[in-house]
Formats: sequence, structure tokens, C-alpha cells
Amino acid sequence: MITVGIDIGSITAKAAIVEDGKILGTKVIFTGYNAEAAGLKVYEEALSEAGFDATAVSKIVSTGYGRNSVKFADRAFTEILAHAAGAHFVNQKVRTIIDIGGQDSKAISLDEAGKVKNFVMNDKCAAGTGRFLEVMARALEVNLDEFGAMSLKSQKPAKISSLCTVFAESEVISLIARGEHRTEIIAGIHESIAARVSAMLARVGVVEPVMITGGVAQNEGVVHALEKKLGLKIEVSPWAQVNGAIGAAVLAATL
Amino acid sequence: MYSIASFRDIVDQPYPYLQNLKNLQGKKIVGTVCTYAPEEIIHAAGALPVRLFGSDSAIHRAELHLQSYCCSLVRGILEEALTDRLDFLDGMVFPHTCDSIQRLSDVWRINLKKTFHADVVLPVKLTTAGARQYLIDVLDRFKADLERQLGREITHDDLARSVKLYNQIRLLLQRLYRLRCDHPEVLDGRDYHTIIRAAMIVEREIFLESLTTIVADLEKTVMQTKPSHLKRLVICGGICTHPDIYEAIAEAGGVAVGDDLCTGQRYFDGIIDEALPPVEAIAGRYIRRAVCPAKHTGITSRGENIIRTVRQCRADGVVFLLLKFCDPHAFDYPYMREMLERENIPSLLLEMEDQSQAAGQVQTRLETFVQIL
Repeated sequence: MITVGIDIGSITAKAAIVEDGKILGTKVIFTGYNAEAAGLKVYEEALSEAGFDATAVSKIVSTGYGRNSVKFADRAFTEILAHAAGAHFVNQKVRTIIDIGGQDSKAISLDEAGKVKNFVMNDKCAAGTGRFLEVMARALEVNLDEFGAMSLKSQKPAKISSLCTVFAESEVISLIARGEHRTEIIAGIHESIAARVSAMLARVGVVEPVMITGGVAQNEGVVHALEKKLGLKIEVSPWAQVNGAIGAAVLAATL
Repeated sequence: MYSIASFRDIVDQPYPYLQNLKNLQGKKIVGTVCTYAPEEIIHAAGALPVRLFGSDSAIHRAELHLQSYCCSLVRGILEEALTDRLDFLDGMVFPHTCDSIQRLSDVWRINLKKTFHADVVLPVKLTTAGARQYLIDVLDRFKADLERQLGREITHDDLARSVKLYNQIRLLLQRLYRLRCDHPEVLDGRDYHTIIRAAMIVEREIFLESLTTIVADLEKTVMQTKPSHLKRLVICGGICTHPDIYEAIAEAGGVAVGDDLCTGQRYFDGIIDEALPPVEAIAGRYIRRAVCPAKHTGITSRGENIIRTVRQCRADGVVFLLLKFCDPHAFDYPYMREMLERENIPSLLLEMEDQSQAAGQVQTRLETFVQIL
């Protein structure tokens, strides 16, 4: 049975095609202004790249903040349930998930069977999310893709005390004005994200193994800072950004 | 006689309704900010006690007086007053509950036009030996202040009549609450919310008459409705000014079957003993009534009450609906959540502001919570 998961996030729209426990294809595009159009586009592109026709698809599940705009989906699940299903699909032992997306960050705890036990989600605020990193990358004139590798070279990360994106940006600008080195500032930014996310994790309780999912999982600097802060090893989902879409496809198979 | 729909109009736009009462009947209107305001005494003085909520407008002038860590409810009420929207009020009553309400009282006294202004300094610990007598003295003094300010004696009979009226209203609201618990499908959450809010605004005699009909009609519809199989939730917190939350719960596949809210159980819990002298009896109800986090009747009395409510309502989970920056509720949350966990009752925390809300994120949390119940 071929199922498709579509994850409409605040920055990117993702699709994943799954057949009997195997991932056949994934696709990521920008969500842009029209979530409904993005859903359709990412679905069609994922199918055509993988060489499938829409008639081959049995079930479709949508997820993400734009889940209800995907009118052709059979059902919508929240991204918390989708990320849990995705992480459990990749590694059945995972008990704690950190999901950092474009506008949300979440800490999710799972039971042995992969069922969501508890979760904490950030408030209406971009602090410690992908959007936060984008704003910082712009202020520092660094390509976001280079953030991770650069911060790993840091000797003495700068201190960034503000959790708010707007205040943190002005702090970063003060650091630039003071002549602080870019790598140290970037490392400081990653540590501030780690501090915020670990506070959320403490509320659900950390049980190993811990997996990180979502677009920000691709930033090794954030992962490193989190490992240091938590004092444990974090497994990076090989499908970081499309983990939610994979989870949605997995959930579609249970419909 | 009012229907639920006309209650909704009044709740949405209370000022024209109140201004009208004042213009046509010369009714005195007294604003209150908390369920510990002794409404029965205000009513006995011939005035209409009206609970104030926040503001729909942008907050500008209140920012000059209050710190940003004051809750949006207190800021909203002050904004409404400073922008002259509450000029119809003949007085304000501030019960001594949370710090922000006390500071609101101070800012009000210094900055707003001189109408009747009363601080009702209730004891914090309600169960000590001295608390009852102290409470009676405070209420007696409030009664004397009110008589002087409104130029009218409050007789024993006035008070007895008001107590009787409030008892009837509370008994009816309790009946409505039980009806919602047993048959949540007969009453939309938004309508329940409307009725409770209307109970704090509408002329109480007419409210009682209208509610009597509404409840009787609802009880008749019970037989015709199918029982729902939605997840049953209890809402726990301070005031709810977000009737949208009920729709969000419904969309998530849940239904609210009970609450521990100022705009809910705390308003109508406890009946006043009509055999006792009225002021003493009113004090007695405050001591027995479901307690708010700014008052004390025992270390875990709120936790025990929420567990009792969950059991009585056969609820699947609890949603804590807390107003951002409401310290008393925030401080109670951890121990209450722990008590619920020990009883294997799942709970979800939502922190909201009076106005703005990230509807999408609230929906995501509610949907996930209902799914994992």
C-alpha cells in the first residue's frame, strides 16, 4: 500500500511517499503565502519525481500548521503526532523527540510503543526556532547552511541572554559592534537555542534515546550545543526536515 | 425575559445595556473585578453589581500605569476606565485577592474620577478561628460604606431578599452545570460561557426568570439528543474570556463537561444559609466555597477540588487555561498537575492572554492532547 504524508510547515512544505515501511521519495519546497497551493504542488512534484501516478496512492494524511488547507488529504493529524510516528518509524527505541521547525519547537516524550505520552510546545514566539536562526544569519551575513560547521570551530561562545528573537538580534548586533568573532556569536546563538529547548525537555522529562527532528536538526551546531547542555548523545533523524511528512505517511497506512 | 441569544448580545456589548438601565431606571451600577466581591450586599443596596472583564481595544493608557508583567485582564479593565468607557459606573469594588487587583485599585483611586471606591480587605486564610469574625466585620463595614455612599439604608429584609435571590440563581446555575456534565451535547460550550457571563451583568431578577425557562427547556431536550462519545475535559483556571476555546475543543474532538473557573464553578459554588443573619451567612459561604488560588483553605484544597470535579464529571483529562502573568494560578499549577498525575489524570497547560492568541498553536496542542487521551 502506497501512502503519502504532506507536512505544511511555516517555512517549507514537505511530502513523503511510503510503501510498506519503505520510503520511496521525499520533496521539500517553500510554503510561501498560499499553503493550499503549496500542499498540492509538493504532492505532485514528489509523485512525479518518484515516478508514481496519483492513482497508485491509497491514503493521504496532512500535518503541520497548514494541515487543514490540504483539502485532498484523507485526514489531518497534528505535527506532534506526525513527528512521533516518523521518529518511531526510523528508530523504534526512541523515547524523546526534540522537533525544531520554522516557527515551533517541541519536546515530545513517547512510551515504549511509540505513543505520545506528553509534549511541550513553545509559545507564540519565534525564539529558538528556524525563523530565529534565519534572522540571525541575516544579521551576521552568513549563509544559514554554514552556521553549523562555523559554530563547531568556536573556542569561547558569546553569551546571548535574550530569548526573544527581536532582543537577541539587537544583542547580536551589539556583539558585532564590539568586534566579537562570527564563529563565537554563532556558537552563542546555538547555545541560547539549546538552553531554551532543554528547559522544555525538562518539563516532559528526558528518557534516552533522544532524537532530533525538524529542519533545524540539519544544523550540527544546534545538535552539538544541545548534546553539551544535556550531557547525552542525540540521534539526528536521517530525515530531519521530512520526518513529519514521513510520520504522516506512516499514520496514513493505519487509517 | 431573555433568551441565550439576547444574553450573548449583552455579554458582547454590555455597556449600552448598562447605560440604558441607568438612563431609563436610574439604576446604580457598581463594577466588580472578582468572585469575592460581595454581590449580595451591593444588590441589597439597590445597585447592580457588574463584573468587569478586559478590553477589546489596544492597550495604550494603561501601559503608563502598570508594569508589563500585570495580566491582560487588569490592564484591559484599567484601559477601559482610562478611556472613559466605564463612565456609567457609580462605584467600584475591589476585593483583596491578587496583587495586581490591589494595585489596580490604587491606580484607580488616584487617577479616575471620584466615584464610590471600596477595597474589601478579606482575610487570605479563610479557615482560622479569627477569619470568620474578621470576614463578618469586613462585610459589615463594606455595608456601612455602601449605605453612606449610595445614600440608602440596607435593611435586614433587603439583605435577606438578595440572599434568597442569589441562592436561587446559584442553585439554577448548579443545575445547569450538572446538566452539562451529564449531557454535554444539549448545551454548546459557548452558550454555557454566555450564561455565566450574563449572570454577572444582567439584572439579577430578570436573569433568574430567564434562566429558569432556559434550564427547563434544556432539560426537556435531553431525551431528544444522542449521547456524545467525545473526550470529556474539565477546564481549570481563572477567568475564561475566550469562548472560542470551546469551539477549538470541539474541533479537536473533545467537550468541556466541567470547570474550576471564576467564570464557572467558583461563581456559583456554595449556597448561603438563609436561617442565619445575612452578613454572617454570606461570610459563611465564602469560607465553604471552592477556593481561588489567592485565598487559602488548606494546602491542597484546590487540587482536591479539581480531582473531585474530574471524578464527578467522569472527565478524561484537564485543560489548564491560565491567563499569562497570573501568578496565583501559575504558582498553583505545578502541585495541581502533580496531584492529577498521581491519580493518572492527564492534563494540558494553555497560557493565554485576554485578547491575542495564537489560534493555530492552541488548536495543535488541544488536538494532540485529545488524541493521546
